[in-house]
Amino acid sequence: MTGPAATRAGVFARSRGGTDPREAAEWSRRQVAGNNLRALRGRAYPRIRGMTREPSWVFFEILLPFLTTSAFVLVYRALQAPEAYIGFVVLGGALSAFWLNVVWMMAGQLYWEKSQGNLELYFAAPMNLMAVLLGMAVGGLVMSSTRALAVLVISSLVFGVQFNVEQWGLVLLVFLLTMSALYGLGMALASLFLLWGREAFNMTNILIEPVYFLSGLNFPVGRLGALGAMAIATIPFAVGLDAMRQLVFAGQPYITGTPSPEVEALILVAMTVVFTLGARWMIRSIERMARARGSLSIRWQ
Amino acid sequence: MSAARTGSPLPPAISVTGLRRVYDIKPKQVVALAGVDLEVAPGEFFGLLGPNGAGKTTLIKILTTLLLPTSGRASIFGFDVATDTRRIRRIMNMVAGGEQSGYGILTVREQLWMFSQFYGLAGKEGWARVDELIEAVGLAQQRLQRVSTLSTGQRQKMNMARGLLNDPWILFLDEPTLGLDVAAARGIRDLVLQWKAAVPGRTVLLTTHYMAEADELCERIAIVDHGRILAIGTPAELKHRVQRESIFRLELDHLDGGAPSLARLPGVVSAALAADADPEAQRVAVNLVLGEDAALGGVVTALAGLGSQILALRKSEPTLEDVFVELVGRGFAEEVEPAMPAPETPEREPAQPPELGE
Amino acid sequence: MTALTAGDPTGFDPARAEGGGPSDTVRSLRTALLLGWRVESNWTDPTLFVIYTVAKPIASLLLLVVMIDIIGGAASADARTFVVLGSALWAMLVAGIAGPAWSVLEDRERYRMLKYLYVSPSTFLVLLVGRGGARLAAGAMGTAIALVFAVIVLGLRVDLGAVRWPMLAVSLAMGIVPILAIGILLAAICLQTRQESWSYPDAFAGAMFLVSGVVFPLAVLPDPVELLGLVNPVTWWVAAVRMAIIPDGPSSIGGPGSLWTAVTGSAAPDATTALCALFVTGALVTLAATAIFRSSERRARDQGLLDRTTGS
Repeated sequence: MTGPAATRAGVFARSRGGTDPREAAEWSRRQVAGNNLRALRGRAYPRIRGMTREPSWVFFEILLPFLTTSAFVLVYRALQAPEAYIGFVVLGGALSAFWLNVVWMMAGQLYWEKSQGNLELYFAAPMNLMAVLLGMAVGGLVMSSTRALAVLVISSLVFGVQFNVEQWGLVLLVFLLTMSALYGLGMALASLFLLWGREAFNMTNILIEPVYFLSGLNFPVGRLGALGAMAIATIPFAVGLDAMRQLVFAGQPYITGTPSPEVEALILVAMTVVFTLGARWMIRSIERMARARGSLSIRWQ
Repeated sequence: MSAARTGSPLPPAISVTGLRRVYDIKPKQVVALAGVDLEVAPGEFFGLLGPNGAGKTTLIKILTTLLLPTSGRASIFGFDVATDTRRIRRIMNMVAGGEQSGYGILTVREQLWMFSQFYGLAGKEGWARVDELIEAVGLAQQRLQRVSTLSTGQRQKMNMARGLLNDPWILFLDEPTLGLDVAAARGIRDLVLQWKAAVPGRTVLLTTHYMAEADELCERIAIVDHGRILAIGTPAELKHRVQRESIFRLELDHLDGGAPSLARLPGVVSAALAADADPEAQRVAVNLVLGEDAALGGVVTALAGLGSQILALRKSEPTLEDVFVELVGRGFAEEVEPAMPAPETPEREPAQPPELGE
Repeated sequence: MTALTAGDPTGFDPARAEGGGPSDTVRSLRTALLLGWRVESNWTDPTLFVIYTVAKPIASLLLLVVMIDIIGGAASADARTFVVLGSALWAMLVAGIAGPAWSVLEDRERYRMLKYLYVSPSTFLVLLVGRGGARLAAGAMGTAIALVFAVIVLGLRVDLGAVRWPMLAVSLAMGIVPILAIGILLAAICLQTRQESWSYPDAFAGAMFLVSGVVFPLAVLPDPVELLGLVNPVTWWVAAVRMAIIPDGPSSIGGPGSLWTAVTGSAAPDATTALCALFVTGALVTLAATAIFRSSERRARDQGLLDRTTGS
């Protein structure tokens, strides 16, 4: 046999070895971890690749959000608000990129994967679904970070925002903790929305403006009183934004009524743990429910 | 099973006992599987043949751990499909027909690499495996083409490559040639046969409603309808249920003594001139019914003795649809009777979740 | 469409290919509106639907109201009224421009129906307008609820006796066309882009916030940007509706230092001017959006984009 047939025969004859499928089915912890890490990398890949292949996001994800942020800046300028509030708006507008990423690119993602027929392939593969979700998060993070940085830099330059950072290390730590809490919540929401099915798409919509309001997108969340306190306790975007404001505009008298950044960092740690463990539990429970209902592959359920 | 891949005796590749699956769909429940029992040996190419709505896809979804049974048990190489999902997913793969899954923005090569990561192949190993499978399935020209631009046949080749990435011990194929043209379908069938033959011990479960496909590929077939298995056997065994005799059509240059001269021969059940013979053709067509194939030798010898020359010899066999009609009383294409309503059935206890860290 | 005839069943009746003209269009629009409404309201139970319809516009409203209240000052009451009216209308605008765009994405990516809709005898544009109209209707409910909330909870004072009801009805009705036209423009873009474009309508609406006089007068903007606002039909729509509800209230157009005042000499446009400007700018945007959509549609056919899936 020669030519393509020989090639195919050779390829098909290449087996991964072993004489017993039961042994092949037993993976060590290292193999399991390796599989999950590779799955994370694999799933992040299309997101990152997509950025370069569909460049319209540069306009819609950077320029337009800058204009939206500008609109809120001009509201404050029209009201002759103190300049500090301009900074609050700019930082809020920049960080909102991450919240939108969680809502649009994670929370509803499993539902959209089901619509495309990918979900059952994910469940039929050996990796943990959380690795897939993390991969989506990492992939989306690249675009969100670009958007956040662009909005922050351009807005700061255009509107003359003055930053005052005293603890760079804490800023970085709070940022990372905010991301971990946000994406932990994203994973939890993804599994929840898989359960809810068709409502997922619209539920993601409900999570935008109300969360912006409760998190003080354009004003210190402490000004909301009890509502603000509730937000600090439950919404990672609220805590993270407030902590970042306190740290990058250190000494600002207008940020009041909320815990110190250090305390908020601890709140973020707790949120990360709760959301991530919650997501893990929910994914397993919901997989069982979806398998029982048969809704893993029914597109519109 | 071959010693190439197996040492000690293995449990059945697939073992199904009393499997039921009821869907809660308005306005009334649908019983997709009404108590299925089935066993597939390691290394076997097994087919599930039945019309649309028979329960084939439901069964395959249970076996591929995507669906829980309502009651009964099923296992893959001894691993319970309800509880040992992780272990099963490490040694199996699945390909369905008409799949539109994947990410349109990626190229074929990237798409397959992504899935190689899901199956735990190391980065470089993944690329190498992807490249060789792309060659093997005949997608070399399309390797850098975006998935969204592939034709149906090309996409299915890509899906097949995905199904083979992890060299599964058991491959589930759910109507893999659905919607493909003749050439593309044949290509897929050849591919599957070659893959299976390359390393003995590989097991394949195929669901299809194409009889010729089941006939060609499968070593054993289960005929399924309304959630039940009606018959299991090799294609020959199943056809033998319908037609125990062998039927041949002979075309001869002449036949002295006519059909009765053949009817008297040992092993010949009946012989008659074919009603559709063309009188202008200057040949004699005879329909022969033999008790068994072996009697044909005697007929040929007798014809030689009579001075007749055999111009054509064709065996007429029942099809698997004939088998289905025999079993069910209607053809594949005839209207399906309303699905039976779900009787009261105690559901199985929910299985315990798998161990953490599995 | 001609009815089936009792003639030769094997013969082809060319009249069937003629179409029924305006009646077909009306039927398509009606069907698309109904389909859009079913898709919109059928995704969940009524409670969640109400929450969805209420939560978004009220949250947007509160975001702005709190901003104003924090800064406070003498003008805050007027500013509140100005912002509340604008923000309440915004719910309708966002729904209207998102409608056609999301219909393209849903039908292409999720329901895989886009190609079937496209090859049906109904005009594709009409179908999208119908689907968008259904979402606009849902958004209008949100606007109404937000206004009621503003009156009851936020203390918005509206003298019902002073409301110019005819002007309100006319301006609201006139605004539907350009809003849906902008939605069609976004749909044209989404035909060319991929699945992640779900967020584009929101991003676009957010940017329009800047040039529509929704939450601050256009006079705050630099002249070139103010000019953009003046040719934007949404600006005139919001201004006209404000004028109708609060006849003596502040306008987003005009005022000291504004391009409008510099060019026309008037402090603010009157009702007739506002409605005429809404008509003219609306017509221009509608024509432009239709032309762009046609071009996008042609390109989509050329590139085979109507039935692709594009997820990542």
